[in-house]
Amino acid sequence: MTLKSMGPRLTAIGSGKGGTGKTFVAVALAHAFADLGERVLLCDADLGLANVMVQLGVASGGDLPGLLAGRIVLTDAVARIGIASHAGFDLLSAPAGSGVLADSDAETVERLAAMLKCASAYDRVLIDLGAGVGATTMTLAAHADDTLVLATPDPASLTDAYAFAKLMVRRTGGRAPAIVINMAAGAGEAKRTADALIRSAQTFLKIRPDYLGFVPNDLHVVEAVRRQTMLCVLYPRSPAVAAIETLAGALGGQMGNLKIAPSLR
Amino acid sequence: MQLRTFIAKDMKAALTSVRAEMGPEAVIVGSERAKGGGVMVRAALEEPEVQASADENGEPVNDVDADFRDAMIRRLRDKPAAKPGRRRFDRSELLGSFARHRLPDALGHALAEASAKTNVSDMTLALAAAIDARMKSVPIDFPNAKAFLLVGPNGVGKTAVAAKLAAHAKLAGRNVTLIAGDVAGAGAVARLNAFAEHLDATIATADSAFALASLTGDAVAQGTLAIIDTAGFDPRQPKIAAVYAALAKIESVEPVGVLSALTDAEEIAEIASALAHIGVTRLIVTAVDLARRAGALAAAAMTEGVGLAHITRSPFVAGGLETLTPLALSRLLAESEQESAQ
Repeated sequence: MTLKSMGPRLTAIGSGKGGTGKTFVAVALAHAFADLGERVLLCDADLGLANVMVQLGVASGGDLPGLLAGRIVLTDAVARIGIASHAGFDLLSAPAGSGVLADSDAETVERLAAMLKCASAYDRVLIDLGAGVGATTMTLAAHADDTLVLATPDPASLTDAYAFAKLMVRRTGGRAPAIVINMAAGAGEAKRTADALIRSAQTFLKIRPDYLGFVPNDLHVVEAVRRQTMLCVLYPRSPAVAAIETLAGALGGQMGNLKIAPSLR
Repeated sequence: MQLRTFIAKDMKAALTSVRAEMGPEAVIVGSERAKGGGVMVRAALEEPEVQASADENGEPVNDVDADFRDAMIRRLRDKPAAKPGRRRFDRSELLGSFARHRLPDALGHALAEASAKTNVSDMTLALAAAIDARMKSVPIDFPNAKAFLLVGPNGVGKTAVAAKLAAHAKLAGRNVTLIAGDVAGAGAVARLNAFAEHLDATIATADSAFALASLTGDAVAQGTLAIIDTAGFDPRQPKIAAVYAALAKIESVEPVGVLSALTDAEEIAEIASALAHIGVTRLIVTAVDLARRAGALAAAAMTEGVGLAHITRSPFVAGGLETLTPLALSRLLAESEQESAQ
């Protein structure tokens, strides 16, 4: 509890390759953590091309540029995302498609990380990292308490996830991201994919990343993303929702951060 | 990382293709039964490329450990012959090295000849033996030294050497008097003053040869080491050289030549010779850290009539005075092409 009182737990989600479903997983996790009773802030740190807002279908996603410029404080910079009959969470994002933060300097990114770390109004800060392994992404990944690397069974995604892991290991002096497999046909394929990544990391980086879990390939997800509605609202009983809840449990349980779920559903 | 997927009728065939196409260093990271029979094998290979990986934003990823490891690997893999002490004597290779270091031709040929005559098969050792015959190492004996007159061209670092000598003498338990012989040079006395303050040394200024002699005499009588800093001059000019030769004759004073390793090798050889003529027997060569070619250092060290006392490899007083052995100089001169190119 002493750890908790010091600030929120930072959970960053990266992948290297784009299109692996980072934003979807981040939004779904934010929701799952909120349902578990945590006060959640979702930070869309895809500083170049923010799209959490688009996925959520909301008009305002907060004012991250204003926060970074020092014009406003965190409480004014976030937008409240409320969902009928569910616990809501806060979103901190830049206007969609603005790209204003595409070339933030290292100092700005460090400041953002520092601000998120001491955002004590929250229990959990989820960071949706941008695609790629740029300096901004890796800085935030290194600052997070838990860093997830999202991969799909697509070989290109595997090599990019490996690159992400490699840079993170170097950056942090030996901390590897935990692996989450998205869009897997089933538990078997997810496990095999994660194993390939783990084996590569063990052989070439001399480090063994943890396998945290997977999200199955679920047509409901595609439908929800298209409709710009949250999956758990649209299809609360879909396999992907169950998988995300398991993931949230793994992250919460692992960190001793789990609270009694208010069972809003 | 390279990642490739192989589908074959059985595991053996798959592994054969992996080895054939990705080489022996590929690692199997996954295998499963392929749809429609056979096996599917996934293999990974980390490119051995040196990770000068600039990331997306063009910022180089800096990792000292990784750089060090890469440097070690390069060293071990690429140039086993470049390991010091492992190269066979090769006269033309040696002359090539000398040329790269801008060693004066005459000295280079003489050294190559002498190295060959040693009949030592290892190039570095043969050269070290040849250098040893021509280079006198005469480090300063701080406990028994009396007075040093630092002489040499302008800007070689005489004042810094004075400070370094004072620091070493202090460490040897001596009291030190710094004497500024260059009272006209802009800021010369002030600089020496600043050094003296830090080193807890006495400072005095001498505006004439007579004053210099009396100050030195006093210091020596008290058992204090006198270090005299002078204005720079060209010892090849007979008139001014005569003035310094006279100063060098003051009782108990030993003239010490100060030269910079950044000088042209032929020039430094001439200047060192000229210094020998005014009574200098010891040289201190400065700026060895700044020089990428060792020709000047070698030429100075092997000048007839003078010995090498010390070299300095740092502009800071704490950097101190170091000695140079024939073997160390030989390594500098005979180092491989790749190393000198870096």
